[in-house]
Amino acid sequence: MMSVETEIRFTLNGRPVSLKVPATMKTLAMLRDRLGMTGTKYACGEGECGACTIEIDGKTVNSCLMYAVDCDGREVVTIEGLRTPEGLHPVQQAFVDHGAVQCGFCMPGMIMQARNLLANNPELTREQAQRGLEGNLCRCTGYTKVLDAVEAVAGKNTCGRATP
Amino acid sequence: MEKTANPTTKQTLIGTRVKKPDAPDKATGKTRYINDMVLPQMLIGKVLFAGRPHARIVRIDTTAAQALPGVHAVLTGQDATGLKFGFSRDNVALKDKVRCEHDEIAAVAAETEEIALRALALIEVEYEDLPGVFTPEAGAREDAPLIHDNFPGNKSLHFEFEHGDLAEAEAASDIIVDNVFRPHHVTHCCMGTSCAIADFDHNGKLTIWTQTQYPYNYKMDLAPALGINPGDIRVIQPPVGGAFGSKLDVYPYEPIAALLAKKTGRPVKVIYSREEEFKASPTRQAAIIHMRTGCTRDGVLTFRSADVLLDNGAYTSWGPTIPVIMMRTVSGHYRVPVVDFKAQAIYTNNPYAGSFRGYGNVQTTWATAQQMDMLADLVDMDPLAFHLKNAQRSGEVTPQKSFLRECALVECLEAAASASDYSRKRTEYAALRDAPGRYKKGIGLASSVHNAGGAKIHKSDGIGTILKMDDYARVTVITGASEIGQGIDAVITLIVAEELGVPLEHVTIVNNDSDVAPWDVGVHASRTTFIAGNGTRRAAQKAKAQILNAAERMLGEPTETLDLRGGQVVFERDGTPLIQLERLLRQMHFKAEPELVMVTDYYEPKSEPEGARHISDHSAAYSHAVHIAEITVDTLTGEITVDKVTAAQDVGRVINRMGLEGQVEGGLAIGLGYALSENMQIDKGMLKNACFRDYKLITAPEMPPLDLHFIESNCAEGPYGAKGISELPTIVIAPAIANALYNATGVRIFNPPMSPETVARAIHERRAQTNAGKVATPAEGLAV
Amino acid sequence: MSETMEAITTYLAPRRLDEALQAMADGDATVFCGGTDLAPQTESGARPYKSRLLNINRIEGLGGIAADGGEIRIGATTTVAEIRRSAALAEIAPVLVEAAEHFASEQIRNAASLGGNLCNASPAGDMSPPLLVLGASVELACWRDGAAHTRRVPLEQFFVGPGKSVKRPEELLTAVVFARPAPGFVGRFRKSGPRPALEISTVSVALGARVADGRLSEVRVAMGSVAPTPLRARHVEAALEGQPLDATTIAAAVAAAAEDAQPIDDVRASAWYRSHLVKVFVEEVLDDVRGN
Repeated sequence: MMSVETEIRFTLNGRPVSLKVPATMKTLAMLRDRLGMTGTKYACGEGECGACTIEIDGKTVNSCLMYAVDCDGREVVTIEGLRTPEGLHPVQQAFVDHGAVQCGFCMPGMIMQARNLLANNPELTREQAQRGLEGNLCRCTGYTKVLDAVEAVAGKNTCGRATP
Repeated sequence: MEKTANPTTKQTLIGTRVKKPDAPDKATGKTRYINDMVLPQMLIGKVLFAGRPHARIVRIDTTAAQALPGVHAVLTGQDATGLKFGFSRDNVALKDKVRCEHDEIAAVAAETEEIALRALALIEVEYEDLPGVFTPEAGAREDAPLIHDNFPGNKSLHFEFEHGDLAEAEAASDIIVDNVFRPHHVTHCCMGTSCAIADFDHNGKLTIWTQTQYPYNYKMDLAPALGINPGDIRVIQPPVGGAFGSKLDVYPYEPIAALLAKKTGRPVKVIYSREEEFKASPTRQAAIIHMRTGCTRDGVLTFRSADVLLDNGAYTSWGPTIPVIMMRTVSGHYRVPVVDFKAQAIYTNNPYAGSFRGYGNVQTTWATAQQMDMLADLVDMDPLAFHLKNAQRSGEVTPQKSFLRECALVECLEAAASASDYSRKRTEYAALRDAPGRYKKGIGLASSVHNAGGAKIHKSDGIGTILKMDDYARVTVITGASEIGQGIDAVITLIVAEELGVPLEHVTIVNNDSDVAPWDVGVHASRTTFIAGNGTRRAAQKAKAQILNAAERMLGEPTETLDLRGGQVVFERDGTPLIQLERLLRQMHFKAEPELVMVTDYYEPKSEPEGARHISDHSAAYSHAVHIAEITVDTLTGEITVDKVTAAQDVGRVINRMGLEGQVEGGLAIGLGYALSENMQIDKGMLKNACFRDYKLITAPEMPPLDLHFIESNCAEGPYGAKGISELPTIVIAPAIANALYNATGVRIFNPPMSPETVARAIHERRAQTNAGKVATPAEGLAV
Repeated sequence: MSETMEAITTYLAPRRLDEALQAMADGDATVFCGGTDLAPQTESGARPYKSRLLNINRIEGLGGIAADGGEIRIGATTTVAEIRRSAALAEIAPVLVEAAEHFASEQIRNAASLGGNLCNASPAGDMSPPLLVLGASVELACWRDGAAHTRRVPLEQFFVGPGKSVKRPEELLTAVVFARPAPGFVGRFRKSGPRPALEISTVSVALGARVADGRLSEVRVAMGSVAPTPLRARHVEAALEGQPLDATTIAAAVAAAAEDAQPIDDVRASAWYRSHLVKVFVEEVLDDVRGN
């Protein structure tokens, strides 16, 4: 009695993936429950908190709202895709260095959004970062150290496209 | 010979910026939170909530649900009969009567969440709705419907404290302010929703993976909900997505997971959706505070009284115990010679409250700090001067016998006022209050006092620590201290590195398994850096003494001439290295009379039990904070923009500067939400805004610039002089904004939040009154 | 999770409009583009799925902004982010870009489509008031008698209630069109809330008019969240049309706003506050035009 399943193929963090998903499944559930990619978090399921932010074809979206079937043929990058063989992505490292991580639950989404903002605007100002992160809720940090981290990366131009 | 190394001078880590050791894994998505955990054979548990505030359950039929393929267990109130738990033994995992909207009526364990949800939909329940009680005033009426048969008059907890002669103090007062404040319902909004995984072994021992903040007393509190011995419970605390006090008690989903696990013989995970989280997790305690404060014409406080009515909600968790802290603020927020405090909690059919960062003091300071501002206004004093005049100094004792050994209230007031140019701006903005113009600027000052060295509300406020070192000079600290994001991991790492001279990354912390780590009362009450910091330091110092004693025997140099730095034993005087620490440890281990470095410590702070009369020095330290908020008010829309917050706080001594800043910034954000936008809209017991769209947390663009000032009062009992700090930032900001709003517009808000609509309405009404020729007296000052 | 959810028998992601329209012809298809409204509505059970799930994201030519001619055309799958970033729209219809600027969050703007926002027919829909003052129409296409048919509906006739529009189940909203604003056209958008975006508007007000010699003409005023649908504020328009934009006219327009707005109490605001805000915003946008 499950709803119809559809085979989809897409690129996940640079690697080809193909699987069958129910038509109504959201990308968040596919990543977490089908692919074991638990870095992307559920926190509201309604696009109001940004904890599930991923990048699709270079743009950030809330994966809890995105139909998994719509990933077909596209490039998906999750928090797990940012880490390079050399170590943490510069944005991840800046978040660590500046104390932006407390409980850390919102951080994968926050970092995905911050990295995307910086990739599109390497000269990102603090005010622009505040606006750009308006869709990412954090209950621990008061955003101050998040913004410190983003500011530290801005201008260094180390945020090329995430897609490997 | 030792490999030659450069002399190592002592470089203290105290006050430096140390990274959280778990941050890299969290930033890369590698950390496996409890929400991410999957165990083999694990079933998913879902809960059927009543969805009505007060009702009798006439009939419940689970036949169809049980028959659904993939369903392994369906439980109802019958399966939990007699298994009462909670502070007043008034709660049970699955109910036989509905007392609030989120009462748990049935629970299902199934192969998948989808099947579990479908099974819930197949459970038939017939209810007979009962008249409800939705305010404490209504609950206290003689003819009010009874919520619990064994709590007549719907009376829950009651607290009192009196000191001095109130009538005399009132008579000696030139000015008395008399107001009713109604702090509202808000909730924690942990980004990781509530989750528990339970599994029984065949010896009847329960392992529960949970988000709890107090793993040891948790066993005591969970056991009666299951009818098992607390000793048969093992608590494992995986990484959590925030807690903030919400996990300081047992809540029904936890025994439900365990009951389902017991029934099915398989691990069962219960996890909330965000909507369930809003509806079924605890709130901050709502209160009605009738407060009166008096002073003389020259600005000396004469008395403070508070008559508090608490909306207990349907069950008793930590919420209605907040008077324990409320009265400390009523009696100790500035020098108050005469105090009269009463609090009564009344059961209602509303959601019930737990503890929440700032426990009781958020509500109380909302009132006391506004009345301080009003009194200053009425005696025509600069609030700063009024505060300074009544501020306690080191060595003073409050009427409840809180001993302010090291008190930096004056320094906090002066630092914040001076950094923000408070007095000048306040005068300037007040003068412009009724001038033309849509946007008004305001500046407001507020302060408070809070326990900063634990709070001995249990028989013990202590912590056990085990510290061991291996043959490679790696240190493992096995501690009761829980990590919920606040950063005790970084503090423990820093202290061990400081004492033992090892690199930060050579310290491992084991603190998430009650079968392994020793007792701690839990992460709450701003206590963990203070208590666990002391415990860690003492354990590390014992290890150091053992190592230096061994070094003395092996090297022939007296211990007092030696130190541990840079992973070596060195001469204390000039840092000349003598032997690598790991080599020494191996020599200790493998010599004829071998010894391992493994020490234990139990630290119990020097504080007195709270006691029934509430006259005790219940914390090992107290701290003050002063916040000055600068705001712009759109007098038409009522929108408040917080332009800047200057915060001065007595931190005793900075340990990890980065973590300290993070706690203050984060605490402020929660306080800002409380002040401005967060509000559980509960209509006849039903929550109307169970989503982030309509329950508004502070977002990044709303976060103001912060100017933080850490005052170091050097607490003799604290680790390196430190005090606990994490609640005050949440406590003080709301009344600072309220006072700024008064400065800007002349309106006072008594019932938070200061939402745009609330502010717009108040300004609108004040203008209407002014236009009608009435003199607005927002302070409601009473000249006597 | 509703039983109807399991009724989905077909998932389609056609590349051609014809295919999509044929798949919808019996009215038994649920359409999604960004999913930002559909996903939460279906998850909560507020909205059941139909038997076919139709992804219109891959339809060629259904997205994009054509702003060369006298008629501006924005394809249904154009995202709010694309509108926000459109240099052409910033030039031609800044009022629409302004509304996009204050729309939800970047993640939502990247996914949410203009067509979806209109079809959701929320009284609080952020794109509706600016499009109403631009005099926009929507194109509704359907498959009938072996061919595609398109009708145009003025946006002000499109909404009929909360979540309800005149679009029939077999119709697909394919584009939004409006005439290039004439020289002298001014537009303004104002939305409530202390947050710059990520806010369901308590009240929104948009103004579009020609300004010449200090007078307003061809005035359109639209309001959101003050009635069951986004609406044209006819009384305010009447108070402004042909009048000199002075204090007296503005006062008259503010007074007329009370005639147009019929707000309700809900979880976001009281009727009193909404009525109050409408007046504040009407005055504010008019003052702003007057000041420039």
